Amino acid sequence: MEEPPLREEEEEEEEEGDECGPEGALGKSPFQLTAEDVYDISYVIGRELMALGSDPRVTQLQFKIVRVLEMLETLVNEGNLVVEELRMERDSLRKEVEGLRTEGSAAVQEVNLGPDKMVVDLTDPNRPRFTLQELRDVLQERNKLKSQLMVVQEELQCYKSGLIPPREGLGGRRQKDTLVSRTSNASSNKEEKTIIRKLLGEGKKNKKCFSILSWAILGSLAAWTPHRITCGWPL
Amino acid sequence: MAKKTYDLLFKLLLIGDSGVGKTCVLFRFSDDAFNTTFISTIGIDFKIKTVELQGKKIKLQIWDTAGQERFHTITTSYYRGAMGIMLVYDITNGKSFENISKWLRNIDEHANEDVERMLLGNKCDMDDKRVVPKGKGEQIAREHGIRFFETSAKVNINIEKAFLTLAEDILRKTPVKEPNSENVDISSGGGVTGWKSKCC
Repeated sequence: MEEPPLREEEEEEEEEGDECGPEGALGKSPFQLTAEDVYDISYVIGRELMALGSDPRVTQLQFKIVRVLEMLETLVNEGNLVVEELRMERDSLRKEVEGLRTEGSAAVQEVNLGPDKMVVDLTDPNRPRFTLQELRDVLQERNKLKSQLMVVQEELQCYKSGLIPPREGLGGRRQKDTLVSRTSNASSNKEEKTIIRKLLGEGKKNKKCFSILSWAILGSLAAWTPHRITCGWPL
Repeated sequence: MAKKTYDLLFKLLLIGDSGVGKTCVLFRFSDDAFNTTFISTIGIDFKIKTVELQGKKIKLQIWDTAGQERFHTITTSYYRGAMGIMLVYDITNGKSFENISKWLRNIDEHANEDVERMLLGNKCDMDDKRVVPKGKGEQIAREHGIRFFETSAKVNINIEKAFLTLAEDILRKTPVKEPNSENVDISSGGGVTGWKSKCC
């Protein structure tokens, strides 16, 4: 695993300390002491106590010194554990920061594409997918179908109310001509006739309701759509 | 001669901020009903209602626009051809009133010059939440020389009156041309659109 640069520096310092021998431990910063250093210190102190001879006062002091050294050992071990934990936490935070930094720079790059650009999250199921033109087309089609439905409903009403005698029916030759000549959208024309035929039966003649309703409403609706796709409105 | 289902066809348009109640105003007029759930209109929708004025059957084709800015380019393409435009604001929403000038500018830019305009202050049943005094609505309408009504689609105040008045104003401007037995004059421009029983 890659060591962060700071860590390396610290280790170098430690190595330098080792070079100075057991006495070197006494010259170290208390915050950099290791258990090893404490053992070095106790070795140095022990050696000097031995040199003092077997005076009972020295022996008594020796017990206290040993106790203090043990306490120091515990504190150093504890401290080092905490330092290790902090190091791990620092490393993970560092990774997190780097991750955020890459994301951030990516976002900055997007922004740099232009002031009116938008970032789209491709994993978002509700992300924008359709263009305004597509929406416009769908709405026009919806409104056209809605008007066709109205035509048929009104026509049905004509029949129900007896405005058109059933025997007369619909679909005269003249009407077909009218529709074809007026409506450029042949497919919708066919569709429309099919609906009418289904509802009212073919081959019968009536130029009353149909011609008025169907193309008057359709024509007027179509004439108002922004692109006038279905012209058919006599000028 | 074919039996007419209507004598004249008037195209009306509803505009105004999102949520002011355009769809509800139209729904009250066309179906005499009211729905409290708010469903934002997508782009453009229409309803048809036939009324009788001065002995004439007038088919009103009423286009309901989405107030949201994102539909702006779609809705403005329907201004052209409208013979009457109802500009709706919400008396409990100050912003919707402030935006009236913006909507009026839209009309100037996109609608026919002779379009009949009308201002509606909707939700007048909610007097406890009112932030736009009636006088302010009247004043701005006066300044622009247009009619003004306070309406409530919810409790049905002035809805029919507003539509009928607008239709009457359009009818007044309509050249009186008695159709002959076979033809009704059709003008696809801004004028009255009728029907023809014979092919061109």
